[in-house]
Amino acid sequence: MRNLLIGLSFVFLMIATAGVDAADKNNDGTLTVSGFYSLTGAKLLSDATRDTSNSSLYQNHSCPCNIAVYEYGGVYEKDRGIRFDQESLLGIQIRKKFSPTLSATAQLVSRLRNPNDGSTPTIDWLYVTWQPSGNSGWMLQVGKMRIPIYYYSDQLYVGYAYPWVRPSADVYGTSIYSYNGINASYRTQLGTSDWASTITAWSGSYTQKDDVYLTRLFFGQPTNEAWKRMLGGSVAVTNDVFDIRATMMHMNDIVWRDRAGGAPSTTIVDKYSQFAGLSMNMDYKNFLIKSEIDRADVSVGKYKYGLLGIGYQLGAWTPMYTYSRYLDDNSSDSGHTHVASIRWDFYRNMALKFEYDLAKEHFHHSYPISERSRLLSISLQGIF
Amino acid sequence: MNPKLKIIVAVSLWLFGIKPTFAELAIVVNPKNPVSSIATSTLKQIYLGGSVLFTPLEQDEHSSVHAEFYKKVLEKEPAQVQAIWAKLVFTARGGAPQVYQSSTGVKRALSENVNAIGYIEKSSVDDTVKVIAVIR
Repeated sequence: MRNLLIGLSFVFLMIATAGVDAADKNNDGTLTVSGFYSLTGAKLLSDATRDTSNSSLYQNHSCPCNIAVYEYGGVYEKDRGIRFDQESLLGIQIRKKFSPTLSATAQLVSRLRNPNDGSTPTIDWLYVTWQPSGNSGWMLQVGKMRIPIYYYSDQLYVGYAYPWVRPSADVYGTSIYSYNGINASYRTQLGTSDWASTITAWSGSYTQKDDVYLTRLFFGQPTNEAWKRMLGGSVAVTNDVFDIRATMMHMNDIVWRDRAGGAPSTTIVDKYSQFAGLSMNMDYKNFLIKSEIDRADVSVGKYKYGLLGIGYQLGAWTPMYTYSRYLDDNSSDSGHTHVASIRWDFYRNMALKFEYDLAKEHFHHSYPISERSRLLSISLQGIF
Repeated sequence: MNPKLKIIVAVSLWLFGIKPTFAELAIVVNPKNPVSSIATSTLKQIYLGGSVLFTPLEQDEHSSVHAEFYKKVLEKEPAQVQAIWAKLVFTARGGAPQVYQSSTGVKRALSENVNAIGYIEKSSVDDTVKVIAVIR
């Protein structure tokens, strides 16, 4: 019944926004309202677990299970059939332009799966943008923003912007994904060449009480995390075929637990942590390539990740094959996923996507998460 | 106008001794802008948010001039272009280009912004704009 109501609400939304342009403006054109949505359903088909009893309780989930969204604990459990409530969301963005050089933006996202906030929309972005002049290559932003650590990190929930149902969970999904702080960027054309470049630097911090990833998917008990003294930078070069980007960030990663009765909290980890990523995307004569290699050295582990996707633009259809992989340097656990996806841009501003993920995990200890799982996903994603 | 109809019209016009001309596009800027030419690849990047050299001005998506521009310059499906702009709009990297209902609207906007760039039918060119490229 709940799934049916979710489906009907989205169909209504689809119809209501189908004729709407990306910007609803007030009379003087200074207020813009836009948004995005995903209606996603998935089903874990079958798997082979090391633990051969039917289902074992793994932390808060009934496994065999597949983690699709690390940030908000979106998990598909085999014995729950097809679910539409783990990834579906609606985002609304409001932007007020005070002058050609100053604007303020808020982006609120309402997710069906949100352990900490439930149905209350979260403020994913809230920032002020300033430029020295209307056409300047310089831009300064202050506020709460998503951390652009890997290529799709800051657009993770804007499904319409990328070809898959979701960027591979082997690579995407950190325990903390936003920062309160400041960023500066400079965009310029490189001489008389075809190439344009963007250099960005950001600084800030973020504290997450009852961090979803650590609480529900890692430790299994309420755990807090803070990333302090974040400092990151990225350099991107693009021409009309290639889009290459390198990113680095470091911070202090502190993980702690509160204790009852006013007792001092316990610090579990306080670690100088780092991220690095390199991505190369190509779009040439209908051939698409998406690739990246990344590494993270954080409180709860040291990882290497990567993905390589090859696709083809066939009119309104975009079939794609993607291979993604992760390696945990400390435990030598690793996993890889083969993803076959197809995107159909059947109507203006919306796309229908189908995806089949075949994931294999190699564990060196025996907690029972799926050793091999097959996930079938369908999603309607759009913008307005 | 769909491709088949175009061919029928072209052949008919030819039979009558009239040479058909399909819409040529002019890439235009404010006459005060110092730039005198632009490469197609740079133009593509400007309209896909990759370059801030100019502020791009769009035309209504149902217009034929818009369709010509997308086919001949951007060489991308409308959905691909929308996806690129969605990424930029929702990740704090800027707003989608302003859309104008006609070439007259584009020309007026250009007169108000020295840093803007637009595309119009070659037949709409007048002395209020400077042509920096022609798309055939």
